[in-house]
Amino acid sequence: MISTWHAAGFPAFPLFRDSDWNPTDGKISPERSEGIDHDKKVRVLVLDDEAVIAETVVEILRQEGFEARSVPNGSAAIELALTWQPHVVLSDVVMPGINGIDTGIQIRQIIPECKIILFSGQAATVDMVERAREQGHKFDILAKPIRPEQLVSIIRAGFGPSS
Amino acid sequence: MSRGMRSISRRLTAMNMLVSGVALLLASAGFFAYDLVTFRANLITNTSIQAQIIGSNAVSPLIFNDAKSAENTLLGMRASPHVLYAGIYNINGNFFAGYRRGQQSPPSSLPPFASQMNQVSVFSRGRFELVRPIDFQGKPVGIVYIQSDLGAMNDRLKSYAIILFVILGISLIAALLLSRISQRSISAPILRLAETAQLVSRKRDYFVRAPAAVEHDEVGVLVNAFNEMLGEIQKRDSALEESERQFRNLADSIPQLAWMGEADGNLFWYNRRWYEYTGTSPEQVAGWGWESVHDPKVLPKVVEQWRSSIQSGRPFEMIFPLRGADGTFRDFLTLALPIRDDHGKIVRWFGTNTDVTGQRRSEEALRQSEKLAATGRLAASIAHEINNPLEAVINLVYLAKKQPDNVVKYLNMAEHELERIAQITRNTLGFYRDSASPIEVDVSDILQEVISLYARKIQFKNIKLRSEFGDGIKIVAHPGEIRQIFANLIANAIEAVSENGSLAIRASRVHAVNGTGSRAVRITFLDNGSGIAPEHRGKIFEPFYTTKKDVGTGLGLWLTTGLIEKHNGRLRVRSSVRPGNSWTAFSVFLPEGFNTTTI
Repeated sequence: MISTWHAAGFPAFPLFRDSDWNPTDGKISPERSEGIDHDKKVRVLVLDDEAVIAETVVEILRQEGFEARSVPNGSAAIELALTWQPHVVLSDVVMPGINGIDTGIQIRQIIPECKIILFSGQAATVDMVERAREQGHKFDILAKPIRPEQLVSIIRAGFGPSS
Repeated sequence: MSRGMRSISRRLTAMNMLVSGVALLLASAGFFAYDLVTFRANLITNTSIQAQIIGSNAVSPLIFNDAKSAENTLLGMRASPHVLYAGIYNINGNFFAGYRRGQQSPPSSLPPFASQMNQVSVFSRGRFELVRPIDFQGKPVGIVYIQSDLGAMNDRLKSYAIILFVILGISLIAALLLSRISQRSISAPILRLAETAQLVSRKRDYFVRAPAAVEHDEVGVLVNAFNEMLGEIQKRDSALEESERQFRNLADSIPQLAWMGEADGNLFWYNRRWYEYTGTSPEQVAGWGWESVHDPKVLPKVVEQWRSSIQSGRPFEMIFPLRGADGTFRDFLTLALPIRDDHGKIVRWFGTNTDVTGQRRSEEALRQSEKLAATGRLAASIAHEINNPLEAVINLVYLAKKQPDNVVKYLNMAEHELERIAQITRNTLGFYRDSASPIEVDVSDILQEVISLYARKIQFKNIKLRSEFGDGIKIVAHPGEIRQIFANLIANAIEAVSENGSLAIRASRVHAVNGTGSRAVRITFLDNGSGIAPEHRGKIFEPFYTTKKDVGTGLGLWLTTGLIEKHNGRLRVRSSVRPGNSWTAFSVFLPEGFNTTTI
């Protein structure tokens, strides 16, 4: 299930909703791939109030061929998402101001195709994600700390392992 | 029958006798007076006639100076037994002839006499004297004098008096008999009523009735009214009995022990549960006998508080152990309320003892489990605190491997993050490292540690923190528990304030936490959050009360209060919900010296 796309010159980042994903072959239905600009790099918006984490993740993703930018809080993320139109948002959960889940819900309303991946160091966030799921907002969540190689491959796959 | 009862009939009889006696006496006196007057008039008339007869017979003897013949005439007076002396005098008043009974001496002088007058009669010194002129052819020729005693009148009066007394006696006896009979119709119903009343008051038997009166007079009304009153009392009695029975049934059916006491604190009634639980008998626990089922160590406190409630009239509330029939003690929450009459005077105390042993145990269990839960939450938050720098370190190491040029930069950054981790573990350790017995701890140090643990959260919300406490504020306490108290209150304050809010923490020495004169430390956590509404203020210390369902269990303040009380301290909350100027201040008072034996 590891990505078939490679960092160097991979043609496109498949945009899809969870329901579109076919876990058996890891491919996207062709009609869902329509309208994607194949010449551009995948844009990843990294949201973490811990500057060191946000900056190191951006650095790692850029090394792996992504276009990445970091923001320190939810409102900045929503603002940037409007103009920058990221394909993937990687967000911490517990933060001052708007938390990662609410940020994700709002970005989804702006860009329905955007893939939201949460990552958190707090066990309690599992409950928050569960409550969001009950209200119809599904999110994948990764546990901090995560190895950079794993993070990259998950973003490439456009899919996080079920938490 | 009592003396009072007898006196009514006696007085009625006496009154009857008096009335008839007086009437009879008055009548007799009237007759007597009339008779006396009549008798006197008759005496005068009779004597006057006698004097006239003597006078007419004495005319010729006087003219012819024949004294002998005159004396013969006077001898006719023998027929009158009461005439003591009779005399004929000439016109000049000189003695002419006389008659005397026995040795009766003639009067030394005649009563004053005026010749023009017809006659003169005088009653004096038990005698009757009459002087009458003797006329012949219209000219006075002499004087007749008659003196008689009043024996006739006295005899008559004597027999009269005897007859009067006999009649009076007979009349009074008759009156007595008649009044006996007549009074019976009046006094008998009253006496019977009185007897009934006595019976009722002696036996407290409201079923008896006074015999109905035959006459429909005032006594009859009285008897009927009395009987109606008895009926009313009987009705009320049974209603009271019924409500009393219902109350006792209710009191016997509740799971609590219940009791009642007089205003002076003497208990006189206990419900069935009391006797079942304590295994005592009513005689054993009456008055102050309940002391026997108390723990002797706690009893003095109970007695002191009970006495103070009796004196002040304030409700009694206390938790204390009571010994059961099996000899083991269980904890009871005891509430006693004074019952007052219309004038506010206490007439009774009503109390219940509720077994709170189970509740206390489950509260203890809840405390324990909450402690574990708190530990779990702490572990989770520590994990988060550590996971973040760990994430950073892993990323930095990855980048250092990938970018040989920047190795030093990334490793320096990683070192900084590792230092953060070390700091967190050092601070966290304090929560676990707790001594079994209280030790001297520095309040400022603990506050600093807790603040540094929440530094990130404070930074998140951009909270302005003011720490207003100097060094060296020391108390004897369990440091882990004090740390937990502070952590809970700071976490609450952080939760309460909005972004850019402010939080002030002050600590200072104060006087007397409980009026014993001992010194104490006050630590105040003041936030400018939205405040606590007055209606919530009383509830926030209850377990499971929370306004933030997402993040709180509602056990924090309850647990905090428990820990503070364990240190013989006190938690006070003041708050304002005034818009624009709302705030909340939690103040913890902890005694400087903490004696484990007082727990």
